[in-house]
Amino acid sequence: MATEAFGLPFEIGAASAWLVWILPFVAALIIPGVGKLSKHATGYVAVAFALMSALSAASLLPMALEAHEIHDQIMWIDALGLKAGVLADPLSIIMANVVGWISFLIMIYSTGYMKGDKDITRFWFWMLFFIGSMQLIVLSDNLLQVFFGWEGVGLASYALISFWYRDKKKDHVGVEGRTVLGMLDYYSPTHAGMKAFIMTKVGDVMMIAGMLLIFLFAGTFGFKELMHDTDWATSMAAQGLLVPAFVLLFGGAMGKSAQFPLNEWLLEAMTGPTAVSALIHAATMVKAGVFLVARIGPLVFALGAAGIMADQFFEIIAWTGAITALLLATQGMVNNEIKKVLAYSTGSQIGYMMMALGVAGLSHQYVDGYTAGFYHLISHAMFKASLFMAAGSLLHIVGSRFMSDMGGLRKQMKKTYVFMWAAGLGLMGAPFITTGFWSKDAIFAAVYTSGNEWAMPLYLIAVLTAVITAFYTTRMIGLVFFGKKSKHIEKMEEEGHHIHEAPMSMWIPYGILAVLTIGIGLIGLSAEEGLHHLFVDYLEESFGIHTAHVTNEASILPEFLQGLNPVALGSSLVAFATGIGLGYIFYIGRWVDPVKFVNSNIVFYAIHKFFLNRWYLNAMVYWCFVVAPLWLARGVFRYFEKTAIDYGMNAGVQKAVGWSAKVIQGTQTGVSQSYLFVFGAGLLFVVLILLI
Amino acid sequence: MEYALLQAVFLPLLLSPVAYIIGRKVGPTPAMWFTFAILLYTTILVINAALSGTVEEHYPWTEQFGEFGFLLDGLASPFAIMIYVLSTILAIYSKPYMVHKFHEQFEEEHKINTSASGQTSIVESSSLANYVNAKSGLYFALYLVFAMGMLGTVLSTNLIEFYVFFEVMLIPGFFLVALWGDGPRRKIGLMFLFWTHAGAVVLLLGFLMIGLTIGSFDFADINESEIPSDIVMLSAVAISIGLGVKLAVFMFHIWLPYVHGSAPTPISALLSPAMIGIGAYGIFRLIVEFLPAAYADLAIWFHIWGLVTMIYGGAMALMQDDLKRMLAYSSISQMGYILFGIGSISVLGLAGAEMMYVTHAIGKGILFMMAGIIIVKVGTRSISKLGGLAGKMPITAVCAVIGALTIMGVPPTSGFMGEWILFFGALETAIEEGSTLRAVTFGLGLIATALTMSYMLWMLKRVFFGKTPEHLEHVKEGSWHMTVPMMVLAGFSIVVGIYPDIFLKTIIPYMNGVLGV
Repeated sequence: MATEAFGLPFEIGAASAWLVWILPFVAALIIPGVGKLSKHATGYVAVAFALMSALSAASLLPMALEAHEIHDQIMWIDALGLKAGVLADPLSIIMANVVGWISFLIMIYSTGYMKGDKDITRFWFWMLFFIGSMQLIVLSDNLLQVFFGWEGVGLASYALISFWYRDKKKDHVGVEGRTVLGMLDYYSPTHAGMKAFIMTKVGDVMMIAGMLLIFLFAGTFGFKELMHDTDWATSMAAQGLLVPAFVLLFGGAMGKSAQFPLNEWLLEAMTGPTAVSALIHAATMVKAGVFLVARIGPLVFALGAAGIMADQFFEIIAWTGAITALLLATQGMVNNEIKKVLAYSTGSQIGYMMMALGVAGLSHQYVDGYTAGFYHLISHAMFKASLFMAAGSLLHIVGSRFMSDMGGLRKQMKKTYVFMWAAGLGLMGAPFITTGFWSKDAIFAAVYTSGNEWAMPLYLIAVLTAVITAFYTTRMIGLVFFGKKSKHIEKMEEEGHHIHEAPMSMWIPYGILAVLTIGIGLIGLSAEEGLHHLFVDYLEESFGIHTAHVTNEASILPEFLQGLNPVALGSSLVAFATGIGLGYIFYIGRWVDPVKFVNSNIVFYAIHKFFLNRWYLNAMVYWCFVVAPLWLARGVFRYFEKTAIDYGMNAGVQKAVGWSAKVIQGTQTGVSQSYLFVFGAGLLFVVLILLI
Repeated sequence: MEYALLQAVFLPLLLSPVAYIIGRKVGPTPAMWFTFAILLYTTILVINAALSGTVEEHYPWTEQFGEFGFLLDGLASPFAIMIYVLSTILAIYSKPYMVHKFHEQFEEEHKINTSASGQTSIVESSSLANYVNAKSGLYFALYLVFAMGMLGTVLSTNLIEFYVFFEVMLIPGFFLVALWGDGPRRKIGLMFLFWTHAGAVVLLLGFLMIGLTIGSFDFADINESEIPSDIVMLSAVAISIGLGVKLAVFMFHIWLPYVHGSAPTPISALLSPAMIGIGAYGIFRLIVEFLPAAYADLAIWFHIWGLVTMIYGGAMALMQDDLKRMLAYSSISQMGYILFGIGSISVLGLAGAEMMYVTHAIGKGILFMMAGIIIVKVGTRSISKLGGLAGKMPITAVCAVIGALTIMGVPPTSGFMGEWILFFGALETAIEEGSTLRAVTFGLGLIATALTMSYMLWMLKRVFFGKTPEHLEHVKEGSWHMTVPMMVLAGFSIVVGIYPDIFLKTIIPYMNGVLGV
């Protein structure tokens, strides 16, 4: 291993940076063998390796806090002069810890959730494969290696969404028989996996095109090398290819993070086991896109500072995020399946992060939006993983994915009830006590103060989405825990099933994350300031992005809130109060019946239906990209391949040969006169030619 | 080692009668091991020679044609290695599949006998065993000749020698299909012979044009002499068409779905991954290397032709219900990728095209083996009658997924290493030439990878996932003869995917030399 000239402690650091992603792969390789010996042992091995990987990541933390970085490379593809390496800088170290520790907790949760599944070995294999690939994305020092991890997580996602590949009815998502524009809105696990893989592949195709464009001009995939010498960017900008290349790269992020227009796969991804939804489709993999933008964003911004502007790149990111945030939040308001509500919410919250990272590049204080987006990534990872795991417990106990089959569970499942409130408050952004509040507020402030032409519309979308978020979260909790018991539960109890709390291995992980959401929330402002400070140094040292020091003017806010933007804070509070208030009216207090309300007039009814049918986007995707191409292919197969090519050439040649044989046969009359006649004519012909 | 390549090519030919006798007298298992041993030995010879760099051997031949030689350089060695590696491991795979086939045919013939004579003929208990022995002897003998024909083609250093080997692989191919194919096998065998022979004749025309113009058929002479430009173009077109039939590119692909669908599966697994790609080898050697002037003009047409083939093959693969036909159309599509890369006129594009041959050989080899296991164990090849097999045959399922990922070009399988280099090459030329047409073909080519992914995933879903139909409740995993070769290839795919230098190290310098970079 060709290590750069670091001192001894950094050698160890480099080793642990490699280990973070190699350990899970090693575990994945040995898991099938362990499974042959004892299925029971696989869980322990998997959890142990996840812990070791997380510990390796944790051992890097001190370095991040001192703003050191490790860059270690080995030769990879010699023929092309490409190196493989790890780049552990504050951004990747913090991300690696988020991924590592949340994975570890979810692995513990899985030991309870997946207990007794006969394919458990396969489950652990893919979970570990996923963690390894995810950490590979986080710690790689070049785009090609990132792409390996990128496809690795996609593959794990495909395999785990279709984990229950026997397509039993209970593993589907959607309502059986329901159609939208003639397209069935009911998906089997294997269908959902395929959909996710192909849809994200569309993003990956864009990403690889972007990567190749950059490689063509820069001759390297390495992040460090790209920053080191920026001549490539100048020549790309001269040909007008710089922005397209980065936008294409962002296409990959759009696919992976389920951003509009590549958002439709995430909902069906809920066919996977809930542990998978929590890990892959909430806390980590879908954040890979955000991470990628955080990885390359500073580079693009630094190029801008050096005179090579690429503002459109940030505009596209900000708008994609904003549209997705609103689009998916509206759909989250009306769905009846608890995991789908959470999935809509995930896509919507990632939209917030993208919005923050986008406006960061459009403002003068890059670090504000950057910190806000990344802080939201961390806090969202905690509360959303917690919510998903809690939802998994509900599914596990109640045996139905529909919220209408739950109801009134707050007495029987007290712990889940409390933790879901805590994490739910984080999602809603409950003021002053949750991480979600601080990170969302930071995003509001970043958008509001970014000072570009789009600031106002983006800000309004952000606030509106916050109202909706608070509303649908309250709705979810109200439907599940309040009101009367559903018929489904009554029937279960009649049949002698006892509705009880989930086992300890399950509630402890989501309990921890829920407590952390509140715990870190209580010191949220200083946590944010710490992160802000860290990123100021990081951006300065690695990208030369200078942050102007802003002295806080004394504002109208009380002492402990100094430094916050009063407008952002105010709208954040109003949004929260409005959303939770409306939710309370309909679903907790149950003063108004939502069904009657929606049916009360045609406008509400139409809007509700529009949201429920996913803005008709999913159906249109199917019509345009599944039905139409298949129809076209069938037409070509029937009327070209089978007729023109197959019949025309194979049978045609056969017939032509047969026909010509008949013609020749026809001349063989056996009559000497006619032979003589032809011979004479031929002779005459030759003589004539010779004479001429 | 002296005579290494000579041995590698001719040992299988010389020993094929021995394989026949062993099969006939002793039985299929010893014949299989004998075939395996010869091929293993010769494979080691080839790999060993490839490791020591470029190897050339020359032997005297007739005066008219020139020298009889073998050349294993950066271009030929990946082809040669893949051909022999596949032949070696498929020898093992062949046995259970072919024995199954012989049993089937025996029953068929037996039934015909009884119905024709109108009375029950007495079948002695030993007659089935004798039948199987005789047939397997013949099979392995033909198998060896087939393998040797393919290797000879990619090693030859003379146009006539190339042509001879090109036809030599056709003859056993014809017999293998006509004797033990599925469906109307004799007709399909003839179709195979007819189309590829028609292609070969056009190829020969091109060869004669070159050879008679410069007065020599030796590659070395062709490379050095100046050929008049009108002859160059004409012969390049003839050669492209001749090889295009072998590659089964769009419009010349008519024979391929029939032949791949009908051929006994181990032979499909050699035809598709190893044999049709030899067309690509021919284009590399004869057009890119020897006729650079014609290549410069034809490249854009290769590029477009490749793109059309890619999309067309993929779209047709979506429509197939027969597992092997679906794989056949997929092969057409993959050959499109190779031709697309050849049309890129850039070092990495050409290198990527050759890597695609390697990865297609691995991936499609696995997938055809998967189809064979299903045919033997389930007894049907209609995708709509399959389902949920992952639980019944887990090893096959895992290998099939790896094979499919290889074809789709998903890392860490070798497919990705072929694909990104290939597309990079296409992009490079597009940007350097500032050509909108090439930029568009690059984009469409990338989109075609999504199509590839769609038909592969859909096939996997319908075959391995979903509910298991009742008639498949008792399906068992294939025997180790069938699964181990598949696992070897699957492992190989991942090794090459992570460490592509194994092949790229030899390919890149060669391509640099050819394009004079």
